[in-house]
Amino acid sequence: MVRTSAPQIELRHLHRMFADTHAVNDVSFEVHAGEVFGYIGPNGAGKTTSMRILATLDEPTSGDALVDGFSVVDDPDRVRRRLGFMPDYFGTYQNVSVNEYLDFFARSYGLSGTERRRAIDYVMDFTQLDTLARKPIAGLSKGMKQRLCLGRTMIHDPSVLVLDEPAAGLDPRARIELREMIARLADAGKAILISSHILTELAEICSRVAILEQGRLLAVGSVEEISARAQVRAEVRLRVLRDAEKMRSWLAKRSDVTELDGQGDTIIFGHAGDRESEAALLRAIVEAGFAVVEFGARHKSLEDVFLHVTEGRVQ
Amino acid sequence: MSSDAQISPSREVSIPGAAVGGESPLSSGASASLRWERLASAWAKIDAALARASDWLNPILVKETRQALKSWQFTWAFLLLLVACWVVTIGGVAVIGPSIYYAAGGSEMLLWYWGILAFLLLVVVPYSAFRSLAGEREDNTYELLSITSLRPRQIISGKLASAVVQMAVFFSAVMPCLAFTYLLRGVDVPTIALLLAYTFFGSLGLSMLGLLLATAARQRYGQVILSVGFVALLLGAFQLAILMAASLVQAGSMLFGTEAFWISQAAVANVYITSFALAYFAAASMITFATENRSTPLRIIMLVQQASYIGWAAWAWIESTERSSSPEAPVFALALAAGAYWFVMGAIMNGEASEMSRRVKRSLPQSLLERVFFTWLNPGSGSGYIFAVANLTTIAVLSMIALAHSFTSVSASRWLGAEPCLYFIVIGWGYVVAYLGLGRLVVATLRRFTLVTMMASVLIHVLLVLAGSGIPTVIQWMSISMQHLDYSYLQLTNPFWSLWHVIRGSLAAETLLLLIIVPTAACCVLLMNMPSVVRELRQVRTLPPPRVLEDEAELHPAPAAGPQSPWDE
Repeated sequence: MVRTSAPQIELRHLHRMFADTHAVNDVSFEVHAGEVFGYIGPNGAGKTTSMRILATLDEPTSGDALVDGFSVVDDPDRVRRRLGFMPDYFGTYQNVSVNEYLDFFARSYGLSGTERRRAIDYVMDFTQLDTLARKPIAGLSKGMKQRLCLGRTMIHDPSVLVLDEPAAGLDPRARIELREMIARLADAGKAILISSHILTELAEICSRVAILEQGRLLAVGSVEEISARAQVRAEVRLRVLRDAEKMRSWLAKRSDVTELDGQGDTIIFGHAGDRESEAALLRAIVEAGFAVVEFGARHKSLEDVFLHVTEGRVQ
Repeated sequence: MSSDAQISPSREVSIPGAAVGGESPLSSGASASLRWERLASAWAKIDAALARASDWLNPILVKETRQALKSWQFTWAFLLLLVACWVVTIGGVAVIGPSIYYAAGGSEMLLWYWGILAFLLLVVVPYSAFRSLAGEREDNTYELLSITSLRPRQIISGKLASAVVQMAVFFSAVMPCLAFTYLLRGVDVPTIALLLAYTFFGSLGLSMLGLLLATAARQRYGQVILSVGFVALLLGAFQLAILMAASLVQAGSMLFGTEAFWISQAAVANVYITSFALAYFAAASMITFATENRSTPLRIIMLVQQASYIGWAAWAWIESTERSSSPEAPVFALALAAGAYWFVMGAIMNGEASEMSRRVKRSLPQSLLERVFFTWLNPGSGSGYIFAVANLTTIAVLSMIALAHSFTSVSASRWLGAEPCLYFIVIGWGYVVAYLGLGRLVVATLRRFTLVTMMASVLIHVLLVLAGSGIPTVIQWMSISMQHLDYSYLQLTNPFWSLWHVIRGSLAAETLLLLIIVPTAACCVLLMNMPSVVRELRQVRTLPPPRVLEDEAELHPAPAAGPQSPWDE
């Protein structure tokens, strides 16, 4: 397979209409090799639709989506060889064991002989399903089924993985294990597009995120970049040894400080800006002669950023 | 040999004499375990060979065979088949009684055994094939399957192959019983073979139909309706098959000596093969992305089917000309069938998208000759409409040439007469071309406002014909002044009434007018379609993107250039 330095996933002005509903509205972003890209948004935001287009299960009304440089519209066969898709809901076959299930999909992706056996062994080992190889799929727990589906997704060693809500319905331990597996896959150079409602988990593994609402892309970038761009303020907690009131009036005069609060010698306020400006603020406070005992900034979480960026609209 | 045995412990245990010489129980146990090891290693080799062989098989066939072997449905069906065969054998032998030694009771027993087998092959296997594909959609497994490297044709072939494996298993179970019926006398091997061949191909054809229907319904309610309808069809086919089997067994090998039998077999085989191919490619097209070229294989099959029907009609025409018995009959039959066939196919092709995907544009014919002959095989409603019209025109012209020959030849008996037949062909051609053209214009207009599916396109065409026929019929029947008339010009848009009167040959004046108006209207509608058809046909081949060329070079590298002459070394 040809590897290029081009983005592994590229959405170009993607649109998808369902009658009057604009499910995906002019969405564009890129995901590079080794990157875990979070795709977040409320229900009905268009995440699954755009993921299905990427997986060649649906077609865009206009625009295009490229996987490793190949259009999902023009070259779905080439895209399928390079992409593994894990849907949010998937069915399983009856009377089929774990090993047979993986064997079937390995065959379906054109793997044969030792190449197929090696791929199955690797996936079994990676997903730690080797002890359940002969167990019927129907008897697997939800977590094990998710592992099996992840195994199926990576059986043909795709360079791109599209995972739609892979952690849904999993217990905390299974979630942690899944997160570790995704991190290992990213380390192996795979480009991973992942959607989840559990934002804290995404924040931990994603290098960048895209926030989607009503089919529109509201923000793309790292959580810090989006916070800065959306002017999401960090919450700063300041404690001075004395002159707390004087400190409050001093801060109130500054344009980068808002929402002054706190009691006694503790002052809590919002600060717009990056870490550099926080350092500059601290320096300015000290130079102004205040005796600072404590200065800590709590940056907004992905959840805060999400709530700040989206407006809770549904379609 | 004994020295070998001393050298090699594995050979030692295989010497029978060694045990006689007072071997300890321990060494006897070891020999048994070694024997098992050998057996296991031999089986492992067979297993590995089978695994290697399975690499050549369709993945769906491998998976579904594994599933079937574990499923209770298959196990029960197989067990019931065996039990039913045993019951028939015991019951049959008891009924025949002592006369079994001299009476010819094989044919009755054959029908009983065949009935059991036919129920499984003509009802259970096709329905399993239908459920197998429809179930993939219901159970949400189809999507995962469709994004693998399997082509739609491989998916259909895999499902079909699974049905064949089931058939083979059922056949193998009943085969000893069928051999028993031959021993009972009263039935010969060719009759049994023909009966089984019919049953096999009938089952295969019905399984193919089941798969085609399974691709048609995507919603659950549609699947339920289709499922019920398909079961009814299968039961009907089973009943029909019982009647046919009884006639065949009764007639026995007497049939094989007649020429008509073999000709009818060839005709049936021809219809079966071409219809099967059409159903196969149609089913594959139904699960193929719209951006891929779904039309060309289907249009090629349509061409083949038309060519074969022309061949059969030509043969029938030559035969009847030589015997001077109504040579226009096969020509009329061909024209009638072609009119209906191309109307249906044209209505389906008119529903194809007029915009070609970039992928399809990469494989458009390029040279002038290719563009002249192969453009009509490209997907698109314009090329589809012209394809249907061109094929129908070919049949009309050939039929007219044949009829012109009938005018000059002396024929003792006339079934219809060459003249009304000729008018029927010209006017019928006009109706089909006009209604297809109108339908295409309506579909194109509607597509400016909304999505029109292929099924909707067919419905639009049917509605147009129904409106064109039904409205004037109702008006004439309700009008006091016109209701007594055999025909009125109000029926100009009604192909059924008009053509019926033309073949009755009782309307000299009206026929003449129809001969002018209908083909002229058809030509006008054809011309109205031409601008959009030309726009569609103007599209030229586009170059594949560099990324595709790069990948192609990687997948199919050019062979390294070797030395061109001895001096190149």
